[in-house]
Amino acid sequence: MRISIKNVTKQFDRFPALGGVSLEIGSGELVALLGPSGSGKTTLLRSIAGLEHPSSGQILFDGEDVSNLSVGQRRIGFAFQSYALFRHMTVLNNVAFGLKVRPRKNRPSRAEIRKRATELLDLVQLGGLEERFPSQLSGGQRQRVALARALAIEPRVLLLDEPFGALDAKVRKELRRWLRQLHDRLGLTTIFVTHDQEEALELADRVVVMNKGEIEQAGTPVEVYDDPATAFVSEFLGTVNTFQTTLNDGIAEVLGTEFPVADADVGEGPQRRHGPAIAYVRTHEIELLSREHAVGIPAIVRAVFPFGGAIRVELAVEGYDMPIQVEVPRAFFEAGEVRVNSGLFVRATNARVFPQYN
Amino acid sequence: MIPGFGISLGFTIVYLGLIVLIPLAGLVLRSAGLGWSELYRIATDLRTVNAIWLSVWTAFIAAIINVPFGVLVAWVMVRYRFPGRRLLDAAVDLPFALPTAVAGIALTALYAPNGWVGAYLEEWGIKAAYTPLGIVIALTFIGLPFVVRTVQPLMEDIDKEVEEAAATLGAGRFQTVRRVILPSILPAVITGFALAFARAIGEYGSVVFIAGNIPYVSEIAPLLIIIRLEEYNYAGATTVATLMLMISFALLISINWIQAMTRRRYGNG
Repeated sequence: MRISIKNVTKQFDRFPALGGVSLEIGSGELVALLGPSGSGKTTLLRSIAGLEHPSSGQILFDGEDVSNLSVGQRRIGFAFQSYALFRHMTVLNNVAFGLKVRPRKNRPSRAEIRKRATELLDLVQLGGLEERFPSQLSGGQRQRVALARALAIEPRVLLLDEPFGALDAKVRKELRRWLRQLHDRLGLTTIFVTHDQEEALELADRVVVMNKGEIEQAGTPVEVYDDPATAFVSEFLGTVNTFQTTLNDGIAEVLGTEFPVADADVGEGPQRRHGPAIAYVRTHEIELLSREHAVGIPAIVRAVFPFGGAIRVELAVEGYDMPIQVEVPRAFFEAGEVRVNSGLFVRATNARVFPQYN
Repeated sequence: MIPGFGISLGFTIVYLGLIVLIPLAGLVLRSAGLGWSELYRIATDLRTVNAIWLSVWTAFIAAIINVPFGVLVAWVMVRYRFPGRRLLDAAVDLPFALPTAVAGIALTALYAPNGWVGAYLEEWGIKAAYTPLGIVIALTFIGLPFVVRTVQPLMEDIDKEVEEAAATLGAGRFQTVRRVILPSILPAVITGFALAFARAIGEYGSVVFIAGNIPYVSEIAPLLIIIRLEEYNYAGATTVATLMLMISFALLISINWIQAMTRRRYGNG
């Protein structure tokens, strides 16, 4: 199902949670709403579900305005961060709930309900646990019961609020892969909320980055990662170093290299080409050079974290207050140049520069 | 094992012994000294039987009445924010705090044939004061806080998301209450019922004024004990007391058992 969100705002008391959000979600898409807490991502998800009523704007399902439909009428599958399982019901009854509460005329027979619930439990790989109670399951299992329960009503869209938020790192990764497979198999339009950029980038077809109740950027994971549209997105995605710099006719100098100002949407008026600016450089966009090259800016290694394929190095650079973070290939580290207190040169290979407006 | 088990268990047993078990044991011992035939004679005496039966059934009805209304009061206080909520919250505990005799006199004044409420009931041909109905009214009054105070915390614990989940699955408000909320507070409701019931069986102060205390009709067991004591009939008094003790104990044990069965449905919780 296609979802159109048109200029939706939501006001809580006097605090605006959503400030005019518009978004198109295609049928069968897997979309991540990514942002820090308080960015309005959960409010947007809950508004789509009908659990929150927007102050203004429209939400359309396949072109039909659902603003006046109640949660139950919208036929959405919603998975809560806390799972919200019915603790006094067995796993099977939890899954069957949505079918059992249907009005008699479109309620399947008891046997049919049981069969459908059992099939769904097999789908989420929990066959055999039908008679357990939620308190007897692990976190990952509970989340899958919650998903099976949401799928039982044959929803038109699946909405997941921080689906892996309460799980440990390993289970998270497994469940993430599993959810992607499930999505590919069912082809259901799916929207999930997360504050974990890795989760959003790895799992979603499209990532919607939100901040302060507005959409900063929406695009494929590669688009938002490689071409951040705003300063916020640049800072939020990936591990970045932040530098204060100055724009001079649209050019700013960052770690010894000059970069043009990013082509950002600044709302009204032309973008500033002079004055204070802020530059974002990812940890892998800084080169470490040994002495004989003698280009770049001199720096001293302060700390090395030699784990994994890329080695994280912390350096103190002349003229910068904060230590900078750099990732170098393992081979470079093994060549023996990078040791604590050794002197090296640093050079930025890429940077995103945004004028500073406040 | 957590350290301190020995000393804390020891303290618990000594304390329980001093406060609860030794007085009760004394009671049983005293009535055991009577001999079986005497015991049997007093226990099957029609006045005794009537008094105990009256105490049990009025307490049961009162506790039953308190279940829906106690749950409702708890619901209102947990779910709604309104001016005077704290005042209402405090008022729920009044039956705990008020001397029961005061409550009894106030209820009698209200429900007597010339009282505010009693006068209306009289028109309908209903006699409240000086009948078993009056006893039920008094016992309902003192039992209410037990249900409210046991249900309230569990109700506060119900996750808002659980109700929202039910709504997203298509359940209406009524279905959500019936299938999700009520079953999850059921254990607390049973506990509240048991406490209100147990309290009401032994209640004396608030009942004696409104009951009229007519032997065989509106004379409750605790009052019969006092009457026997005033007659210096210690044997009679302790026998009635022992019977009540046994009945209360049996009731509490069976309710605990029902509760254990309900809890099992929650898995570990």
